[in-house]
Amino acid sequence: MLIITNNQKVMDEADPRFERYFVEGKYEEVLLAVRDRIHKGHRLLTHPLSGSVKPGQTPYKSILISKEATELHLESLQIIEDSIRVYSTQTKNQAGYREEIQTAAAEDFREVDARLFAGALESAMRAAKPMSEYKEEAKL
Amino acid sequence: MKLEIGQIFIRDIQFDAVSRIENNILYVNTQELKALLLEDEHLASVDFEIAKPGEKTRIIPVKDVIEPRVKVEGGGGIFPGVLAKVEAVGSGRTNVLKGAAVVTTGRIVGFQEGIIDMSGPGADYTPFSKLNNLVLICETVDGLKQHAHEKVVRFAGLKTAAYLGRLAKELVADEVKTYETPSVKEGMLKYPDLPRVAYVLMLQSQGLLHDTYVYGVDMKQSLTTMLYPTELMDGAIISGNCVSACDKNTTYHHLNNPVVEDLFAKHGTELNFVGVIITNENVYLADKERSSDWTAKLVELLGVDGVVISQEGFGNPDTDLIMNCKKIEAKGVKTVIITDEYAGRDGASQSLADADASADAVVTGGNANMVIELPPMERIIGHKEAADVIAGGFDGSLKEDGSIVAELQVITGATNELGFNKLSAR
Repeated sequence: MLIITNNQKVMDEADPRFERYFVEGKYEEVLLAVRDRIHKGHRLLTHPLSGSVKPGQTPYKSILISKEATELHLESLQIIEDSIRVYSTQTKNQAGYREEIQTAAAEDFREVDARLFAGALESAMRAAKPMSEYKEEAKL
Repeated sequence: MKLEIGQIFIRDIQFDAVSRIENNILYVNTQELKALLLEDEHLASVDFEIAKPGEKTRIIPVKDVIEPRVKVEGGGGIFPGVLAKVEAVGSGRTNVLKGAAVVTTGRIVGFQEGIIDMSGPGADYTPFSKLNNLVLICETVDGLKQHAHEKVVRFAGLKTAAYLGRLAKELVADEVKTYETPSVKEGMLKYPDLPRVAYVLMLQSQGLLHDTYVYGVDMKQSLTTMLYPTELMDGAIISGNCVSACDKNTTYHHLNNPVVEDLFAKHGTELNFVGVIITNENVYLADKERSSDWTAKLVELLGVDGVVISQEGFGNPDTDLIMNCKKIEAKGVKTVIITDEYAGRDGASQSLADADASADAVVTGGNANMVIELPPMERIIGHKEAADVIAGGFDGSLKEDGSIVAELQVITGATNELGFNKLSAR
């Protein structure tokens, strides 16, 4: 399983069993990095819109995908594309002001993202391998 | 299971030397209450303010709203597994301080949200502007982590509500309402011709500042399960959810769930209200699969004809909502879903992060992106600097005169996804 994140706290603190890739950029760039991998056949394992802190409010985002790339997984593609659409709706007209808040509350935003994500990683570690890799997998 | 709710109407709150309820006025001895709350070593100070309907008062940032209640007869106590021992609640008699609420504020994290205006245009968007509110302003000891801070504020609110509730234990109620849920078998025999309906209550459970507790159990670690509707009325479900003010379910919402209230109102005449299925909203997609499978299985096992599903929160739970809807419809059971919308400021964008053709009966709580203007208030309770960093605000949100131009999502309860508000669409 592979973590895609722009949150240094997740890079530093996530369980060592997970591989990780750091995105030097904003929330949106994490979504795009995940979308690119889904195009290549990786599967989404956590929801990209984790947390009720809206895009445009928090600058941090961490997403778990499968390490292996197989064929294109349409459900994963649907969810990431929907998430990018929501990101774009919610960030419209919010430029400028948010960056001030994001800097002032950066540590809190990192912590919330990291804690929600850690909960998902705990769920992920309960099975022998990611649920998406089981052959009898239920459809999303 | 049968519960009587004895309502004691509270028409005013005042500070006084002795805490009591007299002639429908709630008197609070803050010294006594403060001593009780400061038993928590993590709480450095707590201050109290009263906010009444019609005042030019703004409360910010709001964490939770709680209605004071007390068990008079029947098993268990209010907030079982949290303040009272773990024992099944929902039967006997419970007294309620109707018209009063405890509101908690505190600077848990640097990004803030949740406004209650007691008058003006903002007051129309929140049900809590109509209540006599005892507001707690909590400051914790230095160095407390965010999760510990949230817990301190949550418990201060619950303890205060329980303290005030106890004042009503011996009182004669102004009005008594009775709610009864028969067993599945009894219900079928009693109402053979009525459609049988269950309620799927989705609970926020993503983690830090996004948690809900059921009998003290963290809902993210629970499988989908069932409750009698009256268990909610005794505080079986409490909110630890501090994010997304407009569409989070406060503890007050759980105690007064309008879907439960409305299904009871039609129970025995138009339909047979079978019970409440509670399910979670986790981040890991396989958890969503498991929980929604379980929801559909319980619906099938109960053999109901229809289901009402309510959601909590923004974004990710849209996927849980659609999974629940799709899988229940696939069992041949009709669903109605209750949600709210993030359709952009002009309302023209798609409202949810997910969709499916089977979600063909949808009730909305309103568009959280709608822009509103809140005039300045004479009194600000809580942390006024929070208005500078309010979620749903934007460049220039806070004007020099104290007025705020922001998205509707700043207001506590404005687009509540249980329908505990006035906004909707046709």
